[in-house]
Amino acid sequence: MKLFPLFFSFFFTFLSFSQTKYTLSGYITDGKNGEVMVGTKIFIPSINQGTVSNNYGFYSLSVPSGTYQVEFRTGVYAIEVRSLDLTKNLVYNLEIGADAVQNLNEVVINGKKGENTNSTKMGQVELEMENIKTLPAFMGEVDVIKIIQLLPGVSSVSEGGQGFYVRGGGPDQNLVLLDEAVVYNAAHLFGFFSVFNSDAVKSVSLTKGGMPANFGGRLSSVLEVNMNEGNNKQFKVTGGIGAISSRLTVEGPIVKNKGSFIISGRRTYIDVLAKALIPDTSPFAGSGYFFYDLNLKMNYTLSKKDRVFLSGYYGKDVFSFANKNSDFGVQMPWGNGIAALRWNHLFSSKLFMNLTATATDYKFQFISNQDQFRFGLTSGVRDIGSKLDFSYFPNTKHKIKFGANYIFHTFTPSSVSAQSDSVVFDTGSPQQLFSHEEALYFLDEFDVNEALKFNVGLRYSMYQQVGPFTRYIKGGIGSQDTAINYAPGSLIKNYQGFEPRLSMRWMLPDKSSIKAGYAYNYQYVHLTSLSAVSLPTDIWFPSTDKAKPQTGWQGSVGYFKNFNDDKWETSVEIYYKGMNNLIEYKEGALPGDNINDNTDNLLVYGKGWAYGIEFFVKRTVGKFTGWIGYTWSKTERKFPDLNQGNIYPAKYDRRHDLSIVGTYKLNDRWTFSSAFIFATGNTLTLPTSWYVQEQNLLLNYGARNSTRMAPYHRLDISATWYDKAFKMKTDEVTGKQIQVKKKFRQNWAFSVYNVYNRANPFFLFVDQDGKLLDGDFKLAVKQVSLFPIIPSVTWNFEF
Amino acid sequence: MTSFIQKIAFLSFLIMGLNSCSKEVKIDIPGFDEQIVIDGSIETGTPAIIFLSNSKDIYAPTDINSYLNGFISGATVTVSNGTITDTLTEICTDNLPAGFESIAAAFFGLPIEQLVNLHLCAYVSIGLVGEVGKTYTLKVIHNNKTYTSSTKIENPTALDNLFWREQVNLPGYGFSWAKITDSPVMGDAYRWEVKNISDGSFSKPFQPFTDDRFYNGKTFEFSVENPMSFKDTTIENQYKGYYKLGDTIVVKFSKLGKKEYQFFEKKYNQIFSGGNPFATPTNIPSNIEGGALGIWAGFSPWYDTLICVP
Repeated sequence: MKLFPLFFSFFFTFLSFSQTKYTLSGYITDGKNGEVMVGTKIFIPSINQGTVSNNYGFYSLSVPSGTYQVEFRTGVYAIEVRSLDLTKNLVYNLEIGADAVQNLNEVVINGKKGENTNSTKMGQVELEMENIKTLPAFMGEVDVIKIIQLLPGVSSVSEGGQGFYVRGGGPDQNLVLLDEAVVYNAAHLFGFFSVFNSDAVKSVSLTKGGMPANFGGRLSSVLEVNMNEGNNKQFKVTGGIGAISSRLTVEGPIVKNKGSFIISGRRTYIDVLAKALIPDTSPFAGSGYFFYDLNLKMNYTLSKKDRVFLSGYYGKDVFSFANKNSDFGVQMPWGNGIAALRWNHLFSSKLFMNLTATATDYKFQFISNQDQFRFGLTSGVRDIGSKLDFSYFPNTKHKIKFGANYIFHTFTPSSVSAQSDSVVFDTGSPQQLFSHEEALYFLDEFDVNEALKFNVGLRYSMYQQVGPFTRYIKGGIGSQDTAINYAPGSLIKNYQGFEPRLSMRWMLPDKSSIKAGYAYNYQYVHLTSLSAVSLPTDIWFPSTDKAKPQTGWQGSVGYFKNFNDDKWETSVEIYYKGMNNLIEYKEGALPGDNINDNTDNLLVYGKGWAYGIEFFVKRTVGKFTGWIGYTWSKTERKFPDLNQGNIYPAKYDRRHDLSIVGTYKLNDRWTFSSAFIFATGNTLTLPTSWYVQEQNLLLNYGARNSTRMAPYHRLDISATWYDKAFKMKTDEVTGKQIQVKKKFRQNWAFSVYNVYNRANPFFLFVDQDGKLLDGDFKLAVKQVSLFPIIPSVTWNFEF
Repeated sequence: MTSFIQKIAFLSFLIMGLNSCSKEVKIDIPGFDEQIVIDGSIETGTPAIIFLSNSKDIYAPTDINSYLNGFISGATVTVSNGTITDTLTEICTDNLPAGFESIAAAFFGLPIEQLVNLHLCAYVSIGLVGEVGKTYTLKVIHNNKTYTSSTKIENPTALDNLFWREQVNLPGYGFSWAKITDSPVMGDAYRWEVKNISDGSFSKPFQPFTDDRFYNGKTFEFSVENPMSFKDTTIENQYKGYYKLGDTIVVKFSKLGKKEYQFFEKKYNQIFSGGNPFATPTNIPSNIEGGALGIWAGFSPWYDTLICVP
């Protein structure tokens, strides 16, 4: 509570600025397609003042009366300079780069020049899809999450996996947002591909430390994925045909320069290939797998002050297996449906509002049939929510954000059905849990002086578990179970708390900077996993009267310095993270143990901590770009009811993690990229001994995560060939040969995954072969590796 | 439910099998600590039989001699039913007392002629046999350490009906079927064993244990495969798992306690899914105090004969 005086003294400091100032505000859009330009820097060199456009392209800058040369800097186009008269408030919307030919081969001035050292942001990385698309792609599928995993402090759950761990936190501690709607499972094909179709994605931003107060609900990170809005000037079709899937995107204006749409689809062919390989007469006919997803986005400018956006995503994986010989069949569909409706409104040139309504639905099903026996399992989560966010720009020294959000959660951790012929087994009533989650926040990013800058925020979050709900109280062996039934809407448990956030930048005379950050977070939802790898069978579970919310804090300090006119960015960050009320299943728990029971009765609770140091060197502009990231880290857990109460390493505890990523643009036609990864092997629990009971050899496991797999390393390379951007044409008037832009463009992307065919460990297991009493028994520890060298080629086109 | 886990594990392996490869590795697995293993049981009308051995390092040899030489001799083992306390006699299969051949054969699931050539040693209660409703306390003293446990022989549960049903697409072959009425008390657990009428020992199907979590108090039918057919090399693959028209079998349907069931449930779960990454590493919970691995279980069998005709 001592933070309050400090907090509000910062809040009200802007009131003391009383000299006459005028506000320059407006929207920055891309002149080529009308898309908003996020992160454009608007800078007035003569007074050394500037701001950055927000996620909706809006900017606002209040400066003393005068005429100024104003620079508009983006990461893609050259600087555009305008002479603007600010003797009165001015709304200035700019279509940037309208006449420019986007030539990635050309060295353009980096729009985010100096951002690395200037901003208060720590542990934040922004990636543009244009850059991601040139990097090596697994099986030809450009994947934003796999690129995120190449950043320092971020590690993958397993080879090819979509889950990621940020600074020692669990995969459920990452808030994944698609146009501000929560994505609960961002994976296709058991985690090997992400749900984010690269053609539909515009930009990606990861915040792994110093989370600002406008975000919450997760302990470790925020991954914001923003979808393209669609070209509001002309119709355009893009697509690609790859090794395992094809993509097609159509975009265009609804009303030219006022509104646009984009619709993008993707589907795999694995089931088609399987069908060709499995004849109809085969007992396995009907087995197969496919996934598809569909992105849709529309926007419309209602007035100078109002704009609406509608975003939607629907994706599904369907796995089916049939064995007619044994009359056995399995269907396993799962998928996400996501929708977000947003309304931007300008109350004034200084006050911007965004109102968002979101809906998220994630569902996993498993249905099996054998003879007359039928078994079904369903789990999922459904959120209905809204967010109200205000951005207020009182003067050049303060940028204030405040707002509120609300989510109504419906969790179905498991709903099991089983029947044999007409007899329906008692699998308990479907478990559904309902809860409300609310938050209020306020943050102010302000300059104390030219050297010192703060971002101070406070978030207050609340959570209520409500009925209907049945609490089972297990009686133990020899005594009866009891149950408490809660009526619909009745309050079962309430949690709430303050979440202070603070980050600061101190600019040193040599233009390097020292930054520090602190964030305290509450997390009211948990992901429970029975397996050592992430699967769609992992269950999302809310906080309850028994399962307390996770809480965590992170402190970090970093040194940031740019070299060679900001062409090279470097940083060193040290962090420490503490986490409480983490959950795991009890030792020996099985998925079916929650029949006629609550899932949280199977859980145990503990704490964790992580610390490390991250080094990052990035080349941002020029023919050669890329980065080197290295992390030394340690992350441990302590649960009183696991591992005999002893401290143990988390399964993704990695001492060393190195990524080297490089892209070289040889010329207009060829771009080459490579990525090298080295990481200490994951930990796992293996049996230390064996014993015999009734002639069966049984295994006895040792301390949790006490075995470490071999290190993981891999090199990927890629080359992208682009066709010529122009063609020659005879001018009808002059009769001369002139260059005209080609309407149909294409490129071929060649990738080789795991160039030197390293057999990286996916997991280890103890293999048993033969029979003990027959004398041919063998016990061996085996390593399973997933992906050998995999070449792939993808043809991409647009017109 | 275990069946569900098996299927998940099977499907997961199937998917990975498309692209994966495995190789043997020698990796450091720290933390081996030798423990005594107690494998004991008592059934209605039969003596208690206890095997004592030690757990072995995961990389220890697994050949037949290592197994046969692994039994512990010289321990003091007693079993008490509250009235009689019997100190068990250590006997070996290559030197069985008269009358114990069939008991030993049934216990090991091996023919007597093979059994007498092996040196499998156990502690047997000569002066005490299992009775329904009684609780049996086990005490093992070895290397100055004492291990204790107790188990009860429950009232048996009879099957309502036992019958054979021919497969629609496989004339002359079918599973054994049974109808059961489970008691309304939650926590009943059962073991299914079967033998051909002419055989000496019982065999277990893939999943021999079940409890009434799903079907407490219900009456329903269920089918069980023929486990003997998988060992019979004369049976073609397509007929494995089925009983042939005219077969005569003896079913032994035994009831056991909840704690004992937890051991066998986790045991079979580990057998089916142990080691793969889609299952949590599970140590099998013992009901023996003192730091031993294993189980001390009482079984209450009910027998019925089935002639496989429609």
